[in-house]
Amino acid sequence: MRGTTRLIWIVVALALLAAPLGLPPFAMTLLTEAVILGLFAMSLDLMFGYTRLVSFGHAAAYGFGAYACGWLLLHTGMPLLFAVFAAGLLTGVMAIGVGWICTLATGVSFSMLTLAFAQLLYAISFKWTSVTGGSDGLAGIPRTIGPFGFAALSSKTGFYYLALACLVGGFLVCRALVRSPFGAVLRGIRENEAKTTALGYNTRLYKIAVVAISYGLGGLAGALYAPFAGFANTELLFWLLSGQVLIMVIVGGAGTLIGPVLGAAFFMLMEHQLSAWTEAWALYFGLIFIAFVLFAPQGIWGLATGWLQMGRSRANPRL
Amino acid sequence: MPLLELDGVTRRYGALVALDQVAMKVEEGEVRAVIGPNGAGKTTLFNVITGTVKPTTGAIRFSGQAIAGLPSHQICRLGLSRTFQITALFPEMSARENAQLAAQARHKQRWQPFGGGKIFKEAQALADAALEQLGLSGIADRPAGLLSHGDQRLLEVAMAMAQQPRVLLLDEPTQGLSVEETAQAVETLARFLQASRMTVLLVEHDMEVVFRLAHRITVLHRGAVIADGAPAEVKADPRVQDAYLGGLD
Repeated sequence: MRGTTRLIWIVVALALLAAPLGLPPFAMTLLTEAVILGLFAMSLDLMFGYTRLVSFGHAAAYGFGAYACGWLLLHTGMPLLFAVFAAGLLTGVMAIGVGWICTLATGVSFSMLTLAFAQLLYAISFKWTSVTGGSDGLAGIPRTIGPFGFAALSSKTGFYYLALACLVGGFLVCRALVRSPFGAVLRGIRENEAKTTALGYNTRLYKIAVVAISYGLGGLAGALYAPFAGFANTELLFWLLSGQVLIMVIVGGAGTLIGPVLGAAFFMLMEHQLSAWTEAWALYFGLIFIAFVLFAPQGIWGLATGWLQMGRSRANPRL
Repeated sequence: MPLLELDGVTRRYGALVALDQVAMKVEEGEVRAVIGPNGAGKTTLFNVITGTVKPTTGAIRFSGQAIAGLPSHQICRLGLSRTFQITALFPEMSARENAQLAAQARHKQRWQPFGGGKIFKEAQALADAALEQLGLSGIADRPAGLLSHGDQRLLEVAMAMAQQPRVLLLDEPTQGLSVEETAQAVETLARFLQASRMTVLLVEHDMEVVFRLAHRITVLHRGAVIADGAPAEVKADPRVQDAYLGGLD
């Protein structure tokens, strides 16, 4: 039954690659946003799922990346591709400081510090009008082509492929990371940090590193969002987004990398479907969230792999 | 030169003196037990040696190097591995993965953020050897959280051993075990200690365990050393009987 899993992957990959051929423009817009949010949720999973570092302020990464990329595109004439990666990198570097401060605390205090930091950036985005545009945000962010070609990336389809490439690349990086010796230490911190320290690991350095990488990837997602939407505003730094991305990770399945991507797509789908039907869509999504926490804490991905394994054992009862 | 040497080590918590001018020398290959009634400062002594608590005053030398005040992960890397009084494991990892993560901590590239096949392989070899030494090979693939309490205690020792330490610090290795489990664990430990000739510093409550395992005993009372010597001498020392052995009977 290994073949079934592989088959599913191939079908999903082909469907994502072929999506621009078959989907209408508005659906492509939604799909592109889902891919970007998927990368954002996956970046949080490194902290939340693999290290049990609960960030209540992951919007800081997304918003910072979006503003940085928007500013670079508006004011430096940097080509799209470079601006996106530069913004992700800047977010990661900025997050070394965030990680350094937040890891002074543990548990809930850590979470509160991440929230405080995000709120600080939120406040700055309002006040520092000359750079952030204040409450108007940055508008009219261009997808500058630049002198090296890549003209295709600025089109709707091209931008989708750019986002998809970032998601797949991000996934491969995260997977290599969690399977590496570094990832083994993260798992140790998740299960028993005091013991990990006692074994001779400087756990704080590992935590700062994972915060920087996680924020860097989250910043990359935000950096994609700015030229995707054409604007960056204060909402991208608001705590509401930090809460939503946590929900995406939990509903999708924490500690699985893929799960949070599905969680993000599911969240977007529900937001889209439920809000067409009722103003109070968030209430109904809240109920769905509670149902997941109570009855399927392993998330969508956990359910899916569970079903696959059940199918496997039914087909071959000896296993 | 003694492998581990404490000189005038004092630790105060406000008015409370948890350790009072403690001096002791542990030679290479020696199994040293530290005993004393509850609150005598045994666990504080361990915490001070391993760096989780800093001594207020005094010097600690490990094979000649001053280690008092170094962060605990650095002290650990010099070759002091400890177990905890309350079992501390990674419950969702298998016994082997537990020992493997312990072994990885001594690898130069323990932090490598990609690949790592070779590092894992080396760590696993050390882990398997340590599990074998403690008689745990049979349960290597079981999640640590599901092991019997006795096996969990031994797994902690195996994790320490997977780090190839120069000194092993055991904090009440039979804590919380039933009489039969204790007897079994002590036999395993005795066999292992004899075969490995490890230098051990052992804190223990259970006198039978101490007399079965230790070559030499240091007695703490209210944070101060009141006796130090071979088990028979210590047993016969009237001050010790007063402070500890007598107090129990």
